[in-house]
Amino acid sequence: MPTLEQPLLTATPAASHSEPAILFPDGLVGCPDWKRFVLLVDEDEDLPVAVLRSLDNPDVELLVTDPTLVDPQYAIRAGVDANSTAVYCTLSIGDDGWITANLLGPIVVDRRTREAHQVVLSESGYTTRHPLARADGA
Amino acid sequence: MLVLSRKCDQSLLLGDDIVVTVLAIEGDRVKLGIKAPRSVAVLRQEVYDQIQAANTASASLGARPALKSVAAALRRH
Repeated sequence: MPTLEQPLLTATPAASHSEPAILFPDGLVGCPDWKRFVLLVDEDEDLPVAVLRSLDNPDVELLVTDPTLVDPQYAIRAGVDANSTAVYCTLSIGDDGWITANLLGPIVVDRRTREAHQVVLSESGYTTRHPLARADGA
Repeated sequence: MLVLSRKCDQSLLLGDDIVVTVLAIEGDRVKLGIKAPRSVAVLRQEVYDQIQAANTASASLGARPALKSVAAALRRH
């Protein structure tokens, strides 16, 4: 998973309030009130997924993955600098049982300042539901 | 909703920083040019709706309970 300057290496929400927040000045697309998050990374295993937990809405937690696991050229296609930014894509599970990634609207976080934006790669050909794997492992 | 009509090459100003210009009218399609600061996102309505839907779908997943099983499914693939 892409890390930030001071990685948040805890899976327990209790510690999350002591970590510096990731701030979306404009919120996420269509969700302008979702502004402050922390990134929860599993402390025991190196997993391909992490959780973006909202500090404002306790019900809002986004499962995210590293899009370069899907497409190694993703950062270049997205037009972001992989050195200064960490890029994440949110995951969903469809009614058909497929785990999908929103490659059309990635979350880009400045590694140093932790300022984040959800950008839209309009001309990329990516979709909001890029299939990754079946949830049941079939 | 404010309703205005524009002809080709005419413009609208939104606030002080955003300009929308009708560049061409081709059949049932209007080509619009938008000048806006980088801080203002300009999105087709349907793309905005799709991204918003993806965000809310992701939030309703139950991220932490699903974390391990999703990680395992991705690893297997």
